[in-house]
Order: sequence, then C-alpha cells, then structure tokens
Amino acid sequence: MKNRVVWRSLVVVGACLPLVGAQHAAPPQSVMPGAALTPQDSALHVLNRLAYGPRPGDVPRVAAEGVMRWIDRQLSPDGIDDDRLALRERRFDILRYDRGDLAAMYTAAQRERRERKLAAGETAQDSDRLPDPMMLKNRRLASEFADLAVVRAALSERQLYEVMVDFWTNHFNVYFAKGADRFLTPDYIEHTIRPRAMGKFQDLLIATARSPAMLFYLDNWESVAPGTSPPFPLSARRRGGQGVRPVPKGINENYARELLELHTLGVDGGYTQQDVIDVARIFTGWSIERPQQGGDFEFHDWAHDRGEKLVLGVRFEGGHDMDEGIRLLKLLANHPATMHHVSRKLCQRFVNDDPPDGCVDDAVAAWRRSSGDMREVLRAIFHGPDFWAAANVRAKVKTPLEFVVSAARAVAAEPDTSPRLAQVVARLGEPLYLHVAPDGYPEREAAWVNSGALLDRMNAAVALASGKLPGVTVVLDSIVSAGDAEQLIGVVNEKILGGTMSENTKQVLRRELAGVGDPAQARALAVGLAIGGPEFQRQ
Amino acid sequence: MSISRRVFVKSGGLALVSFGLDPLFLARAAFTSYEPLPPHAACCRPVLVCLFQRGAVDGLNMIVPHGDPIYYQERPRIAVPEKDVLDLDGYFGLHPGLAALKPLWEAKTLAAIHAIGSPDATRSHFDAQDYMESGTPGMKATPDGWLNRYCQHDREHQDTPFRAVAFGPQLPRILAGTAPSLAIDDLQAFGLRAPQPAARDRLTRAFEELYAGSATGLLSTSSREAFDAVQMLKRLDPGQYRPANGADYPRGRLGKALLEIAQLIKADIGLQVAFADVTGWDTHVNQGATEGQLAGRLGELGEALAAFTRDVGERMRDVVVLTMSEFGRTVRENGSSGTDHGHATAMLVLGGPVNGGRVLGKWPGLDPAQRFEGRDVAVTTDFRDLFAELLARHLGARDLSAVFPGFVANCERFPGAIRG
Repeated sequence: MKNRVVWRSLVVVGACLPLVGAQHAAPPQSVMPGAALTPQDSALHVLNRLAYGPRPGDVPRVAAEGVMRWIDRQLSPDGIDDDRLALRERRFDILRYDRGDLAAMYTAAQRERRERKLAAGETAQDSDRLPDPMMLKNRRLASEFADLAVVRAALSERQLYEVMVDFWTNHFNVYFAKGADRFLTPDYIEHTIRPRAMGKFQDLLIATARSPAMLFYLDNWESVAPGTSPPFPLSARRRGGQGVRPVPKGINENYARELLELHTLGVDGGYTQQDVIDVARIFTGWSIERPQQGGDFEFHDWAHDRGEKLVLGVRFEGGHDMDEGIRLLKLLANHPATMHHVSRKLCQRFVNDDPPDGCVDDAVAAWRRSSGDMREVLRAIFHGPDFWAAANVRAKVKTPLEFVVSAARAVAAEPDTSPRLAQVVARLGEPLYLHVAPDGYPEREAAWVNSGALLDRMNAAVALASGKLPGVTVVLDSIVSAGDAEQLIGVVNEKILGGTMSENTKQVLRRELAGVGDPAQARALAVGLAIGGPEFQRQ
Repeated sequence: MSISRRVFVKSGGLALVSFGLDPLFLARAAFTSYEPLPPHAACCRPVLVCLFQRGAVDGLNMIVPHGDPIYYQERPRIAVPEKDVLDLDGYFGLHPGLAALKPLWEAKTLAAIHAIGSPDATRSHFDAQDYMESGTPGMKATPDGWLNRYCQHDREHQDTPFRAVAFGPQLPRILAGTAPSLAIDDLQAFGLRAPQPAARDRLTRAFEELYAGSATGLLSTSSREAFDAVQMLKRLDPGQYRPANGADYPRGRLGKALLEIAQLIKADIGLQVAFADVTGWDTHVNQGATEGQLAGRLGELGEALAAFTRDVGERMRDVVVLTMSEFGRTVRENGSSGTDHGHATAMLVLGGPVNGGRVLGKWPGLDPAQRFEGRDVAVTTDFRDLFAELLARHLGARDLSAVFPGFVANCERFPGAIRG
C-alpha cells in the first residue's frame, strides 16, 4: 500500500511538468528544430502533430528532406500529389450522391418504413427489428461516410490538410443524426468545409453560415421576425419523423449564440445577451429551400427583421436584407476576440492542451498580417519556439481518431471501404459526425482518457497487430523483419514508437516474448503491446 | 488604472491556469488507491438507477388519467379502456402492460410524477434529450452531463471504479464529464479480450505493467482504475451470476442491463449511479391501446423492473430507480393511430426510499385551455426539481447549484418522491 501513496505524489508532480515547461518555453527565437531535438525527433514530432503519425520509413524520409521543408510542402496541399487516395475515394458510393439524392433516398426509406408499420398493424415491433433494404442502404451510406474520413486521414499525402479538415469539422460541428442533417452533412463536409480548410477564416465562416447543414442543426432556418408569416403554406412542411410543424413564431437565438460563443468571439469575447438577440435578428430569413428535399440556402425576404440593430457597439441601420448578415460575419471574422479564440484552439491542437501565450500571440500576429489566412497562422505556430519546446513534445494524448489512424499507419494497414475502422473509432468514444453538442469533439486529454476507453485501445491494438481487426489488412512481416527477441524489440521501438520506448516497456516485452516460439506470434505480441502501451497513446 | 487592470488580468490568468489543471487531475489522482470498501460503507451506499426512455414516452398512456372524459374523447382509437386500466387512485391508473409493477404500488415503493418535463419548449428529440442529460434546458454548450457533475462535486464516493456506470457501448451525455465513469456494454467482456483465460490474464498483466512503469499523468491514473476494475470483476465472475428469488428478467437489452446493475449492487463494489437506455417510445404510428406497440414496450419495462426488484431483494431499501423521457406526446391521437411530439410526460420512481403509492406533481388537466400551446400536457414540474430531490434526499448531494447551474434548487418545489 505504501508504494501506492508514493506513486500518487509522483503523479501530481508529473502533472505540473507540462505547465512549468510551457511557461519556460517563452522566447528564445533561435530555438528552431534541432536545438533540443535531433532531426529524427523533430521529424517524429511533426509527423505526430501535423500528420496522423508516421508510416514505416516516414521519420527518416522527413528528416532527410528537412523538417521545415516538409512543413512548407504540407502548407501548400494542392502541390502534393495524392493520386493513391483519389483512386481509393472512387470506391466510396457516398461521393456519387448529392444532398438531393440522399434526401430522396432517406424520405423514401422513411415512407416505406411507415407503410410497413401500418401494414404490420399490431405486430409493428417486428418490423422495427427487420430493417428494409432502403433503410439498410441508408445506414450503410452513413457509416461509409464516417469511414471515408478515416481512410482519408490514413492514406492522404496531404496530411496537414486532413488534420485541418478534422479541426474545422469540430469547430463548426453539426450533428449527423438530427433530422435533415442525415442527408445534409456529407455535402457540408465535401463542399463547405473541405474546399476552405486551408484558406481564409472569413470565407469558411460565411460558407458555414449559409450551409443548409448548419442552418438546420442550429435551427436558424426557422428563425423569423416576430409577427411575420410566409406567403405560402409553410405549415404544410414536414420534417422527418416529427409530424406537421407549426409555423415558426419568432426569432431563434440558437445559431446567433453559438456563432458568437463557439465559432468566433469565444465565451469570454465580450458580447451580451442583447448582442445575441440582435445577431439573431440579423440572421432572420437565412433559411433552407425545402429542407426535406435537401434544398439549398434560401433567403426569405418576408421573414427578415428590417429594423435597426446594434452588435458589439456597431450600428446596423434599418432597411437592410441579407447583406447585413454578410457584413456582420466579416466583422466577426476579423474581430480581435475571434483571432484570439481560434488561434488559441489551433495552438491547443498543435502544441499543448494548455496552449502557451507566446504561441497564441504569434498566431494572432500572423492572422492580422494575412487577414486570417490559415496557412500563415499555421506557419507562425510551426515556426514558433513553443511548438519545438521539449516540454511540448509528446505532451498530448491522441484522440480516438488519431489513435486508430496512427496505429493503422504505423503498421501500414490497408483499410477497406467497410465501415469497420470507423466503428473502432466510435467504440473508443468518438463516433464521427455524431457529437451532439455544437462545441465539437474536445481537444483536451481529459475527455478521452478513461478506464474503459483505455482498455478498448489495448484491445484494438492487440486485434490490429494480430490481423484480427476487421476492416484492415495488416502484413506485419513486411514491416518487422524476423529475428530474435532483442532485434524484434529494437525494430518495434524504431518503427512503431519512433525510438520512444521506455526501459520498462523493453523489459516487459522481453519477458513476454521469452515464452513465444512462433515468430509471427512474437511479432504480433510485440506490436500489439507497443501500440496498446502508454508511449503510443502520446503524440 | 493600468495597474489595477494588470492585476486583474494576471489573477484572471492564474485562475484559469489552476482551473485547467485542477478538477480532473486532482479528482482522478484521488482515486488512485482503491482499497476494498469496508463492509458497512458499501452495503448501505444509496444507489440511483436512471433509465432513459428514448423517443418520448406517451405519459398519458403510461399513467392513464382515466377519470377525465377528455382523455377518452381525444383518443378514440388508442385510449386504454376503463375496464383495462389498473386503477391507482380513482383518477389515474397504470397501463395494463405495467401490471407487474402494481404490487410495488401497493407496497408504497412506487410513485409516479405526472406533468413533468422541461421548461424549454422544443419538440426535437435531439434538443430535448440533450437538455435532459446536460441538465441545462436551453443551453446547448454545456460540456458535461448532470450525473457526471454530481460525481464531480460529491467526491466521497469516488473510491471505486464502479461508482458511476452506464450500460451500453458508449458513455451517454448524462455521464460525460471529468469525473470518472465507466461505459460497460457487457460485464463479461469488460477487460482485455483473449481466446483463453490464461492468455487473457497474461495479456492483462503485461499491459498493467507497461502502464504502471511507463505511463504518466492521466494515462497512469486511468489505467490504474481500469486494471482495478478488471480485478474486481474477475473476482465477481459475472458469467456465473444467477438472479435471486426466482427473478426472471425479460430477454433484450433492458433486462440484461438491469441484471448487470443488480449484480453490481449486490457485489458491494461501490456502485452509486447506474444508467441505461430503453428505446422504442416514438409511437407516431399504430401506438395501440391495451395491446400493441406501446403495450409491448411497457410490458418489457414493467417485467424488467419487477425482476430487478425481486433480484435485488433486501438491498432495494438503498436503491431508487428513476425513469425519464425527453418529453410527452400530444393529448389528441393523430391520423395514424399514434401520437406526435408533445410537452410534459410522466416519470416513475421506485425503490425502498420512495414515498410511494401516489401520483405526485400538480396535475394541470387536459382541457384545451389548460394545455401547452393548446395541444400538449403542460409542464407543472421542472424535471430538475425531481432530479435535484433524488440527488439531495437520496444520494445526499450538498451542492445542487453546481449540478444544475443557473437553476435554484428549492426543496419546497421538490415533488416529494423520497420519504422524509
């Protein structure tokens, strides 16, 4: 029992380290890669943070190219050849349908289900348990879409771009399972987020504000000026599974609030409840043309509040239409609080869960210089001393998506188009596109590290290494050559853990491998323990 | 001016720093040494079991206001006929599907709360479930759930990895947050998976040593929690469990979850908060009356709860089971012999500490003038009044304002579900 107490106090001390380190890691401008890190360490660090972990051979490759040159290339993704992924994307049926097609398929399946239930009468329970073919097809497409995200993260050469897509997908979160978002979300990711993931923040903000998926998710599509009513029978509109909807009666503040709190200024961004109300008034009439059919953005002139508004002390005089919404979004996109809030989130993603002030300041300065060009903001972060500070290296725990994808990359696994790999990510706690709250999946380790999830990571690692993880093909002998236990441990340390294997891990592996005669079994065991072990959970 | 401002900024920054580090880390560091609980501490620990009826249960057909003619006028095809209702108090009655619960009512260990719901008017399943789980109606950005916040602020029971357990593949929103909680899909499969027990033990030991020797920070505390839980479960041997007193759980997810909850309660390993989902309540079409779709779901719920009560036996004196659902359904039946999304619903509370044998809450009546927006049962009890009562008077929670931010818990508004 005594050593438990000792151990506890050690943990508390350990917890303070990253923080202390972060405070110390302020200026020395000369600290670029290399000062504290070897070229190999630097390469591993950027592959962990700007990419979803190294594939076999990536670390020496990036070190040879030069880490800063590799970063520069990643900052211009259009210049990176990604044919292999493009070929693989063609296997995904979901990319062949637009949101109208998906809406039609979804409503047809709903109708069919309803009819079957009616026909089944009293035994309707059974029809629930036997989904019809349309339903199955919809479900398959939905899970295929989650799998597409995993495959892109695993296979793309434009790694930083895929990391940024994931970042913005969470920053501008929508919830796939809310009504029409079942068929609006794929279009949102493909045509709203992805084309703008490395562009100007303002463009992305405006695009999300106009996107049917966001308008539906945060209810702005039914926000109308009080007392207004549509010139056509809107009340006849139906929403999936919710029966006839009453005519909207007034403003809905949902989008306005999250726009200020999450998308732009941040919760301490200095806005008031009156600002929220006036922002909601500005967005009255920003709606969707026939949401149940997967329609596009539509501005409803009749629903717009044409009165005067005041937001953050800025006057929006009366008599305006949609243009005042665009004006507001530009104001918010270039507001200092927004620069700070979004820069801080980026530093949290790339540097430390508790981002150092210096990193945030550098990012904000670059934002100002470049009018919010994300490539310049990222460049400033990657060139800053905090990014390379020893205290911030391996200071972050991988999210479930990062863990699964980095594990697959570490063993050069070939994911198929079945949704199995995405299901592993879901089982570890991060079902993609299914975060209900608008804040997106969290970045802090506290959200991901818990006992059940850790055991699941260990199980997934063992299954992956022994070739039993459904949805991926792994051929370990091409990566880890045969040899005695000591050689095996050396290779696993170098190729899977990038040289970070602790002395304790080596000892445990030695002991576990001692009883294993079959080389294939020994390889699977060593790789499984390494990927499921503590070193691999960090990045 | 500039000086005071700087001081302000500085102390604000310090406050943030400690906030960023403290709650979770120190909280979790405190669970690092699990000792077997002293017998008295474990055996009398109050337990709260929450069942979420996802899809919005029709409160009016679960706890039937058979004394009101409007109920029969508005539901010509789906009202439960007077002769089939199991009368409770002359005005309300149980749906016959819940017949298995009638003895608990007679024994005064079952109560119902009617006309309960959210102050928020949403009729979206997504929003309403979200609010009921976050405990902050109208506020979408709340990061954690109210059951987790209770665990964060009431730390004296954090001496076991089984303090808060959700039965299902993922941790639900209600238990999301910084306090440790387990999601268990299958008690028997919890832990490392290997074909043979010997291989499983070996793999468990190997990982345990990897983490004990090399993990730092939260990875270290959480892995310790995990392996302690695995150890405790191994001793429990869930595969060998047989329900007591001839309890016969219905097949299906709910029966399995309640059986596993009963097992953990009886194992005295410190379970305090348990959660499970019950689906299939969104009865827009062919809802049925005495028999049919809703009757089938209620039958399973009633039998599962009756089996649970029998199985847990004497220990029910420390246990309260709560059913909750995001909202109720329209008073009037719709064109497809079903009901659409409404507002208030009914919830059940059962167990030894319950002030049973009565329908609690203020009944607003079914008259159109008394309805919410002219169509739904009006909410007269904020769901937080009931949840707060269970936390305060059953679990002994002290700081309700931290569990339900923005809500002033007032014991005078408690519906009176727990015996005083």
